Amino acid sequence: MSTSNVLKMPGLASIPIRRRKSKFDTIALWFVLPASVLMLATLLLPIVVVFILSFTNYELGNLEFSFIGFENYVRLFQDSQYWKSLWQTLQYALIVVPGSVLLGLFLALLVQSVQRGRKFYQFLFFLPVTATLVAMATVWKYLLHGTIGPVNHLLQSLGFQSIEFFGDPNLVLFSLSIIGIWQLAGFNMVLFIAGLMAIPQDMYDAARMDGADRPLDRLFNVTLPLLSPTMLFVIVTSSITAVKVFDTVAVLTQGGPQGGSDVILYSIYLEGFQYLRTGNAAAMTVTFLMLILVMSWVQTKIIDKKVHYS
Amino acid sequence: MMDKNLFYKAKRSLNLSTWLTHSILILLAFAMLFPFYWMLVTVFRPAQEVFSGSFHWLPQTFIGLENFHTALSQAPLLQVMINGVIVCIGVLVVQIVTSVPFAWALGKYRFPGKSVLFSIVLLGLCVPIQVPAIPLFLGLAQVDMLDTYFSLMFPFFLSVFAIFLFRQAFKSFPEDIIQAARLDGMSDFSILWRIVVPANKPVIAAFSVFSITAHWNDLYWPLIVITSEEMMTPPLGMASFADPAIGANFGALMAAATLITAPIMLIYTLMQKQFIQGVTNTGVK
Amino acid sequence: MNIIRKKLFGLFAGAILCFTGTGMAQAEKITLDVIHAWPGHNPFYEKVAEAFTKANPDIDIKFRASPPSYDDGHQALLRGIITNKLPDVYFSGFHLLPELVAALDKRKRSVDLAPFIEKESADWLNANYEPSILSLAQVNGKQYGLAFNASTPIIFYNGDLVKKVTGSSDNFPNDWDATIELAGKIGKLGDGINGMAYDVHAWPDDWLWRAMIMEQGDPVMNDDGKTVAFGGESGKKALNKAVRFMKEGAMDLRDFEQSRQQFVAGKIGFIFSSPNGARAFSDLVGDRFELRSAVFPIANKIDGKLPTGGNAAMILSQDEKRQQAAWEFIKFATSAEGQKLAVLGSGYMPTNKIALEPQYLGDFYKANPNWRTSLDQIQYAQAWGGYPGNNSVQVWRTQRDIIGNVMRGNVGVDEGLEQLVSETNKLLAK
Repeated sequence: MSTSNVLKMPGLASIPIRRRKSKFDTIALWFVLPASVLMLATLLLPIVVVFILSFTNYELGNLEFSFIGFENYVRLFQDSQYWKSLWQTLQYALIVVPGSVLLGLFLALLVQSVQRGRKFYQFLFFLPVTATLVAMATVWKYLLHGTIGPVNHLLQSLGFQSIEFFGDPNLVLFSLSIIGIWQLAGFNMVLFIAGLMAIPQDMYDAARMDGADRPLDRLFNVTLPLLSPTMLFVIVTSSITAVKVFDTVAVLTQGGPQGGSDVILYSIYLEGFQYLRTGNAAAMTVTFLMLILVMSWVQTKIIDKKVHYS
Repeated sequence: MMDKNLFYKAKRSLNLSTWLTHSILILLAFAMLFPFYWMLVTVFRPAQEVFSGSFHWLPQTFIGLENFHTALSQAPLLQVMINGVIVCIGVLVVQIVTSVPFAWALGKYRFPGKSVLFSIVLLGLCVPIQVPAIPLFLGLAQVDMLDTYFSLMFPFFLSVFAIFLFRQAFKSFPEDIIQAARLDGMSDFSILWRIVVPANKPVIAAFSVFSITAHWNDLYWPLIVITSEEMMTPPLGMASFADPAIGANFGALMAAATLITAPIMLIYTLMQKQFIQGVTNTGVK
Repeated sequence: MNIIRKKLFGLFAGAILCFTGTGMAQAEKITLDVIHAWPGHNPFYEKVAEAFTKANPDIDIKFRASPPSYDDGHQALLRGIITNKLPDVYFSGFHLLPELVAALDKRKRSVDLAPFIEKESADWLNANYEPSILSLAQVNGKQYGLAFNASTPIIFYNGDLVKKVTGSSDNFPNDWDATIELAGKIGKLGDGINGMAYDVHAWPDDWLWRAMIMEQGDPVMNDDGKTVAFGGESGKKALNKAVRFMKEGAMDLRDFEQSRQQFVAGKIGFIFSSPNGARAFSDLVGDRFELRSAVFPIANKIDGKLPTGGNAAMILSQDEKRQQAAWEFIKFATSAEGQKLAVLGSGYMPTNKIALEPQYLGDFYKANPNWRTSLDQIQYAQAWGGYPGNNSVQVWRTQRDIIGNVMRGNVGVDEGLEQLVSETNKLLAK
């Protein structure tokens, strides 16, 4: 029974429609109230404060500060370190996103294709997502040690040269992205599995009748297109997660060596909490926020075109 | 006749490819879980063996639970884990209590400001804790609430991720059930909490796993806001060992890491079925 | 009957209150709020606190969560100044002490130790502390702290590898040329073995870099206090030496922790480190090879100095009673007894003269020569010194990047030195 039917029932006809409509509205407003208050206090207000701070020269601990207009932004755009950390963040994301998305997809496809042990594999591959990073980071640092680490032992036994994963400024981003992919792949796998389970079997049957019999055919003609909404979601969330990289840098490299792993959030952390130049850090934060918003919007627009909605 | 042949052919190829698939999966699982393996092996090794030039699969000297002893005595691990529990549960409860009605309203009602609120939700998904960190820190300092459970939990009370997830799930909740309940005289409030929520347990369970994992392992915010030892959260407790100056007592660090990571893994193990179901139900479409 | 009961009850209650009242007055315990950096140091700090409370039962010591490094601790203190949550006692890294005092001065919260020292017996100060040790915690001639941990950079070497190339694991060279040559020889042993590690490119603070300037007997800052003084010969010599480490000394550039791991795995001939590595190294090396130590090969044996790393205990509390209690604590921590506990737990140099007597550390040092190496070069110890202003942390990060680039060969020594000087001066001017 739709609402309009209810309204047409005898006895209720005398109740003005406007009042009934507003009855639903009010309860909705009560529903959104608690979270909205939190939104104001923990999301919107702080962002506004950060925005305002970005126009000042406030330094944490000072008793006074003054407004300096766009000076912070101007200085920022001329700062080569800033552009470097933006660029390095982008490089990191360009490795981690395809890496974790494809690995997640691959794992999901494999896991769903076997009859037995699915839960077991799902469990195993999701474990890295649950691990505490401070601990795992130290483990990874040893595993990727330039000479005595197991990974290099493996490389050497296969005939390759050992790689100075964390000592070489040109390689450190790559090493960090290995850890990034490791942490994200299991998460993406779960999302893809959810997407796969939502694909009805009849689709495959119909495709087989149309002649798409081999696994690869099924993959490209049925699975991937129907998975595209999930794909969009996974790509966008992985991108945001990748660009927000901080923990591994803070714990393992502190931006080094020689600034080779300076990523944008770590630079902001240094600027705001180490050098205590709050105004500057606020300006960097604002630009970072703009960046993420633009990136998400662009991705959504582009990929959305390719998404196949059933 | 032909069907039978096809069937046997398919069955054989199925076995071969299944065997191959399992092998690949096991290999990948081994690679992805190798860090955990090394972590466990290090717990049972003496300090000398940890960084040797050659690689050994198993400890050459087995030192039993010695490292666990050291870990437990050198850091207040029990207190730290209790703090983790308090913070995670506190955050989770508020998150669910505030985001469930919000998501329900977004999914099923019309009201002024709805699209604005939804845009804010989407915006919130892009905003990491580092953005509001400084203002929140200053604010908490003003009211002298730093170094408290409240300060640990406050920034995370709002979960736009929960709102997003729940909205997806709630949106497709059957309208007829709602109407029937309304005709029965149930208030919208009761409908939400007595009918909709129980029906969506998997999604809420899935989100709970995400939330607990994230906040158990949270490093950045506690690092800024906590100063006293008895308020430390699990990652801070771990940092007590990861000290470059002394070279890190690796065995004890790994023992502490095992103890601290174990509860989350346990939760995930127990909730796995609902977790997967929950993520599926959101119909990420 | 009721009135008598009431009166009796009143008397009884009054008696109890009196009891507890006096009891409380006698046992008025003060709990001091203390911060020290480096969580790994918790064990020996706790030992010192325990011993102190045993001797002073009415003062309890409670440590806050340890910041991961001196720089982090400094930052936590600065935040504490704003939020008015300073501890009673803080163990500040030497190089950041002046900056901290300046920040405290701005809010009139610094605590000069002079009045406390005056109250002690006439020769208490001299009997316990060398002037050089006292200078480590002085700013503008005023004593703001008592040095608790002190160290100068030393060498830990792999006795087995040294023996392989020289025939003996004793007699480690004492000048740079011979040292680098030794490293080169060890590097030629192959099998991925490095000759040496002087990880100035990855050090958390500018300790090793300052050593390279100060060992030449040259100053780091100019007299104007605004610009750096290593833009000329001293800087050039230092950078050239760093390049020699790479070219002739078979050194590879690694991450700080991984370098130490490489050493304990037996794959580096010798590594420059703080003496507090003694405990960790001996645990991690075990009996894999013979662990030995040697003094820093100072370039200028007459005027050269070494920066003293470590920390000093400062009083931050503003309440008179608490200040008194804090004074007792830091006095104990830097006493012979306290120092014995600190040194045995860490490998740092004792900051107290008396601690060297046999009943404290004398015998221990005889049995464990690796631990006393830092003492053997104590005559070269000088204050570490920080940069003026409040950008020290950023200054070092910038310098480190440039020095690393020079060592990698990405930038020539002359160009690198120019960058070093100009970038540093820029930041100092901020």
